[in-house]
Amino acid sequence: MTEIPFLRPRLVGSRFENRAIPLEVLKDLAVIEEMVIEVAKWKFLCAHPERRRSPRRFTEGIELKLTGVEEGSAVPVISLFLATSLLFPPDSQHYFEEAREAIVGAIGAAERNKAIGDHLPDKALSYFDRIGRSLREGEAMEFTTPLQPAPSRLTRETRRKLVFASATTVSLTEETAIRGLIPEADQDDKTFEIQLVDGRKIKAPLETQTLEAVLEAFIGYKNGARVLVQGVGNFSRGANLQSFESVEHVTLLDPLDVPARLDQLRILKDGWLEGRGIAPSASGLAWLSQAFSEHFPDELRLPYLYPVAEGGIQAEWSLPPYEITLEIDLVGHKGEWHELDLKTEAEELKELQLSEPDGWKWLADRLRRLPGGSA
Amino acid sequence: MTNETFLLRQVHPSWVQLNRVTSQVFRPTPKDQKRLSVYDGDQISAAGSWRHFTEALGYASAGVLAVTQGECLHLDLAVQADPTPFPEHAFIDFSGFEEGQIKKKSKQLTAAAVIRGWQHQAEPGA
Repeated sequence: MTEIPFLRPRLVGSRFENRAIPLEVLKDLAVIEEMVIEVAKWKFLCAHPERRRSPRRFTEGIELKLTGVEEGSAVPVISLFLATSLLFPPDSQHYFEEAREAIVGAIGAAERNKAIGDHLPDKALSYFDRIGRSLREGEAMEFTTPLQPAPSRLTRETRRKLVFASATTVSLTEETAIRGLIPEADQDDKTFEIQLVDGRKIKAPLETQTLEAVLEAFIGYKNGARVLVQGVGNFSRGANLQSFESVEHVTLLDPLDVPARLDQLRILKDGWLEGRGIAPSASGLAWLSQAFSEHFPDELRLPYLYPVAEGGIQAEWSLPPYEITLEIDLVGHKGEWHELDLKTEAEELKELQLSEPDGWKWLADRLRRLPGGSA
Repeated sequence: MTNETFLLRQVHPSWVQLNRVTSQVFRPTPKDQKRLSVYDGDQISAAGSWRHFTEALGYASAGVLAVTQGECLHLDLAVQADPTPFPEHAFIDFSGFEEGQIKKKSKQLTAAAVIRGWQHQAEPGA
């Protein structure tokens, strides 16, 4: 076999540090081979307008393989392999290289708001529905080629542009996670529904491996049993989740699950409290949800969470004889800790900087020292 | 009003999580000018106050909690009738206290109200 360097997409994001590539991202990379083959066939037909289809053995002796992972933060090395039994390189090698240029050109066009159709036909754009599907907010795949040395970045945003550049595409699939109730499960139809806080219901396939958790949440519906559903969702052009294509995990949540509670508070509108309350901002709630996930230790008792009239959130713990409140400023990322011993009336007050790990550490240490602070 | 008079306080649905009520229920917001509105329980029932609040005033309430005038006085909080907005209106006066003291008193009032229990609750889904 002859090995020819083909693509070295640079994966950007904390998940890719130290040359690590999550296995789910490898699924995305695998689709690149399918796409390159189809685009190479299209390139051949463009060069031979007299032909109706590509040669029967067009892809014979050619393979794309992952041959290594380099630093930076992770760079999978994808090489084109040509069968050595062939005396001369297959003609199709040229079209594979043209296909690479077209694909990277389309990604660059999406990033720079140029015409994507100048690089790829509509039918090829649908491959982007599977390439980059596992990318998260802030992550990117950066592509370069010998003819396009400036990186073209495939992100959640550019991927969305690429998929919807095709006029016939009505939905996009993305890895997603939502929290909600399960009001309905149909074992015959093998589907279930997740009810979101705004009342919308999202249909999902009922798989054998998730059946037990789904049924438990279904039985607990009246008592507010919430679940976290993770899988591949179908999104409309307006970025609304319409249904799940597949479900990987269904997890029953703690009744005090912080992101689920913050989701509930997301639907508040200005004027919520007797015409005067300020609704907590979406960005502030997203920050708090993320901060709790990152900094609040699992073993500690979760707080109850309530909106504050001025737009903040108040976390509360009842740990008799202590009544504790932490009023959180979603803009300044500060917290005011107030701890009251109802028996002795002794108080502890402290301002916490919740944009810093130290603020969260103080909070965790304090809770650990209180009776019942650990779950 | 006497020391035994119930001071009825409406609870916004977002201030109830898993049937636990926030201590903000008995804490005036900055716009309240340290006066916490309540219904005078000698003049209206808990259910009647809930109907007035949700139907006549058009606000949201998950239910009604109560403290007594005596509990307020014990915390040095004066209670005054204020029939200007509507005849049964009164307020618990937090003026003269700093924010930290207000937090403490609101927690103490909430604890007393929670021990007393719901005086009225909206039907589920209402």
